[in-house]
Amino acid sequence: MGTVEVVKVGGVISPFRARAIVVGRRMQDIGLQVFHNKTAMAGLIILIFFTVLAVAAPLIAPYGPLSAVPDVGPLTLPAPGHPFGTNQFGYDIYSQVIWGTQISLLVGVLAAAVASVIGTAVGLVSGFVGGWIDEVIMRFNDVVLSIPWLVLMIVIAARLNYLDLVGIILVIGLTGWSVTARVVRSQVLSLKERMFVERGRMIGSSNTHILLRHIFPNAFPLIFANTILTVAVSILSESVLAFLNLSVKSNVSWGRIIAEAYQHDALTIGMAEWLIVPGLCIVFLVFGFYLFGYALDEILNPRLRRR
Amino acid sequence: MAALLEVRDLTIEFTTKAGIVHAVEGASFDVERGEALGLAGESGCGKTTTALALMRLLPYNGRIVRGSISFAGRSLVPLEEASMRAIRWKEMSIVFQGAMNSLNPVQRVGRQIAEPIILHEDADSDVALKRAGDLLELVGISRNRLNDYPHEFSGGMRQRVMIAMALACDPKLVIADEPVTALDVMIQAQILDLLERLRRELDLAMILISHDLSVLADTCEQVTIMYAGKTMESGKTMDLFTDPKHPYTQGLVGAFPDIRGPRNMPEAIPGDVPSLISPPSGCVFHPRCKFAFDRCSNAEPELSELAPGRRAACFLYPEVTEVPGRSMPIATR
Amino acid sequence: MNAGITIFGIICLNYLLIRLMPGDPSLSIIPRDPKFRGLRDYMISFFGLDRPQWEQFVIYLQRLFTLDWGLSYQDHRPVADILLHDLGWTLLLVGTSTILTVLIGIAIGAYSAIRRGKPFDFVSTGIGIFLYGMPIFWLGLVLQSAFRKNSVFQGWIPWWPALPTSGYYDDRLIPWNWDILHVADAFLHLLLPALTLSLGTLAGISLVMRNSLIDVMTEDFVTTARAKGLSPRQVLRRHILPNGMPPMVSLIALDIAFILGGAYQVEVIFRYQGIGFRTIEAIGSLDYPLLQFIIVIGGAAVVIANLLADFLLLWLDPRIKIS
Repeated sequence: MGTVEVVKVGGVISPFRARAIVVGRRMQDIGLQVFHNKTAMAGLIILIFFTVLAVAAPLIAPYGPLSAVPDVGPLTLPAPGHPFGTNQFGYDIYSQVIWGTQISLLVGVLAAAVASVIGTAVGLVSGFVGGWIDEVIMRFNDVVLSIPWLVLMIVIAARLNYLDLVGIILVIGLTGWSVTARVVRSQVLSLKERMFVERGRMIGSSNTHILLRHIFPNAFPLIFANTILTVAVSILSESVLAFLNLSVKSNVSWGRIIAEAYQHDALTIGMAEWLIVPGLCIVFLVFGFYLFGYALDEILNPRLRRR
Repeated sequence: MAALLEVRDLTIEFTTKAGIVHAVEGASFDVERGEALGLAGESGCGKTTTALALMRLLPYNGRIVRGSISFAGRSLVPLEEASMRAIRWKEMSIVFQGAMNSLNPVQRVGRQIAEPIILHEDADSDVALKRAGDLLELVGISRNRLNDYPHEFSGGMRQRVMIAMALACDPKLVIADEPVTALDVMIQAQILDLLERLRRELDLAMILISHDLSVLADTCEQVTIMYAGKTMESGKTMDLFTDPKHPYTQGLVGAFPDIRGPRNMPEAIPGDVPSLISPPSGCVFHPRCKFAFDRCSNAEPELSELAPGRRAACFLYPEVTEVPGRSMPIATR
Repeated sequence: MNAGITIFGIICLNYLLIRLMPGDPSLSIIPRDPKFRGLRDYMISFFGLDRPQWEQFVIYLQRLFTLDWGLSYQDHRPVADILLHDLGWTLLLVGTSTILTVLIGIAIGAYSAIRRGKPFDFVSTGIGIFLYGMPIFWLGLVLQSAFRKNSVFQGWIPWWPALPTSGYYDDRLIPWNWDILHVADAFLHLLLPALTLSLGTLAGISLVMRNSLIDVMTEDFVTTARAKGLSPRQVLRRHILPNGMPPMVSLIALDIAFILGGAYQVEVIFRYQGIGFRTIEAIGSLDYPLLQFIIVIGGAAVVIANLLADFLLLWLDPRIKIS
């Protein structure tokens, strides 16, 4: 349908603009399918909820993330004003949970972006160039995939000694690109077979042109869906590192709240919320990304659709 | 004496998201002992559904809404599942279209052939495997291959294995659903010869299903032509081929190039098989029929006897009556 | 062949990670903590840290293959002994939990596949995705709190069980003996960690089992099997399940590194002293001799598990040929 529209817009139209229209139409179409997909919408609603929570944390949270409250001392039980109680330094746990959303989302999204960019680049090159370069890259990929990710991450994190926000994002991103690389590579291989690439080659376009103008745009939706699933994994990774006290020290994150609750035996002293609520936050946020990611995958990748 | 298999007014529906699919409506036919019946028609006209219904193997969303199936004196439609299981393969077996997919890919063929023997005859596995070897030899495969897996056989060989399996329990009736469709022409002829030979030697009754009339021509005594779930015409194979009555049958017969005759391109029937969710009013074939007149779109012709043993459902013949209660003056679609 | 290359890759990457990372190259392996000062000269000569880079690498390889991995800073025991001992317990944990997961996963997956679109399928798939997103360490903490002595639940329900929540077996039973008492106690101590790990990995397996079985169910040979007069249960057991297994084995093989990652978290939570627990401890005390072989051991375990999965596939699916 797109081409008909393009003709109607009329006269001289740059190929770039023509594609923009077609791609726009495609995005609109995908958006509509997402809107009608119950799973995707459920995921999206969860994501919007947490995004609002993260952005509006300064407005919603009654206290700062790392400041002792004036009215009660450390380790007070849940009470009005402090629905989840206070921790060992007298910080309000309810506020901490809200602030924690920022770190989880930020680290999750940025680490997934790092992983996706690397994974996509590696997958594109490996799949498109082929030959011994592909062989070497895939062997290396096997190596990275074989090392239990947690150990790899822990060793790198510990090796760097001190991790700031950028550090933690890089550690998770740099250890998490292998799966993406594999997915992208297989997608590139199947796209390469398709006719239009052959046509593009015949016109005399360069390999870079084919890769960036033909293959990448077609693989993009799948890469995007995969990135969303990677965000879920990255959030989990951050929480594990935070729990092991290897994540950012200067900000509060859900994993760290859980670790503190664990160290102070929250359940026994009657502060179950301290342990349970941040855990449920992780579960729901990850659940949201999974729901959205899988639904998107199903929409974008017809082969996966249920019979 | 009653026929081995008597099907009367068999009507099958599938419930799908898009609506109710009227897959088969009012199918009636007999199969005598030792006789072969051919079921013909374009794909999607209800042949396979009929075959599955005979063995009560319809998918979960399909059901028999009307009609009766009487097999060797028993009525199969109301039969409980356990008794039906005892009949399956023991008395009535089936050969499916793609032998590629009809055999379990991770099980040795010997075990697959022996499985129903062990199940229905309480044989121990040695005896059953020996029988499986005999059966393989019967269809022209060495018994050394009992321990091979399906992927180690060619397409034609796999179909032979399938046929051997179908004969495992000495059934009274074998249903062959498009047994040669996926095979090349040489192999097709071999398999058809094999089926024909076995039928005579073992005195089997057979239902042969094909979209390809030439497959049925040499094998079947009787042929029933189906279209969009309805029976269009039935009769002796020879009569039907030499003097097709129904315009659809004429189209099908015409669609076959005659190797002996002049090399004309076969005349195709224009149009497609209609939707079975909202079939056309009146005669289902009228939208594609070059002889269609007013009555065809308003009333449904009943399958009526034109001559002894010869029936057709077409208003071109004055003997043909309307299906009572099926005349629809206005088509609101 | 590929497995060999991969293991060699792991060995090289490991060398690079430990020695060539930014910071204090080659010195990181030398104890910095003053209390290990005495080991300094030993480490330098043992790994040839004063020699050129390539010689260090050769020494590293030599030591690696002869299992002569030096002494741990912590308790001066040989690293190889410690790690092989720990690996045994980790494998016990992972093995038990994988078997548990596969059995439950097949049952749930098969049941939801049969009742596709029915409430059971919907609920189990939902719970599955939910569990899939649960941090394993948190799940472990919750289970630990729920099943320890004097847990909240025991106040509510009198018969609520209490299970051991830390260690391989009761400290009072040290040293280990192969008798019924020790084995039973070790089993009890294994229950919660294995359950945690299973719940964490169950969802992936049962979801894949479900989808793979639904695929198999539409195959023609299943109709053939039903036409033979087999009961639904016989069809499932003899024809559907054997064809649904290969994709699941491939999945477990792919996920084995992920499962090991989960096992490490479980070990920390339940103080189950396998490789994962040792990793955290080694990091805490900067015990580099220990740390530098942990990656190799973990990676090799994954590669070998993959190899085993390939052999299993070969046996499960006769269509797969050795290439």
